[in-house]
Amino acid sequence: MILELMIALTAGAAMFGTGLYGALSQTNLVMIIMGVELVLAAALVNLVAFWRYLHPEEPAAQMFVLIIMAVMAVEMTVGFGIAIARFRSRGSVEMEEARELKG
Amino acid sequence: MTGMTAQMIFLAFFGAAAVWFGIVVFRTKSMVRSALALLFSQTAVGLMFLVMQAEFLGVLQIMMMATEMSVMAIFMVMFMMDPGGMGAMDMTHQKRLSLWAGGIGLVAALAVIWLAAWGPAVPNIPGAAQQAADLGRELLGRSMFIFQSAGLTILTAMVAATMVAIAPRKERKE
Repeated sequence: MILELMIALTAGAAMFGTGLYGALSQTNLVMIIMGVELVLAAALVNLVAFWRYLHPEEPAAQMFVLIIMAVMAVEMTVGFGIAIARFRSRGSVEMEEARELKG
Repeated sequence: MTGMTAQMIFLAFFGAAAVWFGIVVFRTKSMVRSALALLFSQTAVGLMFLVMQAEFLGVLQIMMMATEMSVMAIFMVMFMMDPGGMGAMDMTHQKRLSLWAGGIGLVAALAVIWLAAWGPAVPNIPGAAQQAADLGRELLGRSMFIFQSAGLTILTAMVAATMVAIAPRKERKE
């Protein structure tokens, strides 16, 4: 058993659970983005832990970390773009008031 | 105290800090405090990277998140009806479902983590300079297409987000 790997993965799992709770329970768009950021941070922790304790000779694992960081940046950019558009048209970024997006 | 024991202690400490600040994000009523808590959580993640000897990624994570969370704090103040949390507004819904989903996700992940056989430990890793050189070769060699695609995706997202955020011409004339 690699105890360091277990500790890192457990922290990642706890961050994932917290982020999932946040993304589902919050009504404000910016807070939902925060929840998704936590979930992606959990993925980052897992990737670095797998690289460090299972495949330290493989740089592709670090490359995946950079890709997840890019996904985090994209998610924030698009999220805030939508938030600005929504705030301009409706004066609020409360998702309870965005039921027309349901389809 | 051996190197691996120290690594384990610091990993547990920063891991606990990352999780604790992550919980604070959704517990505090003040949105500015939420953004700061997320900043501390992401910084703790960066420190975990440093403990795991991924120096480049650790520094990158801390620098990137410091900027990202500062922007997020500004947006929070701009868009929230009660950014200081003085009105103690409840901004949650479907709490029970969210708690169940988060709890089930956590338990499932923990079960996989603690029941899987991860194989023997690999204690020796390349030095920081060698890691950076290997990553550079990986990015500009085998993974160049993926890396370029990520760059292009960020550029597209930036342009799209700006277009969505710009006021329509009619609105600007008024």
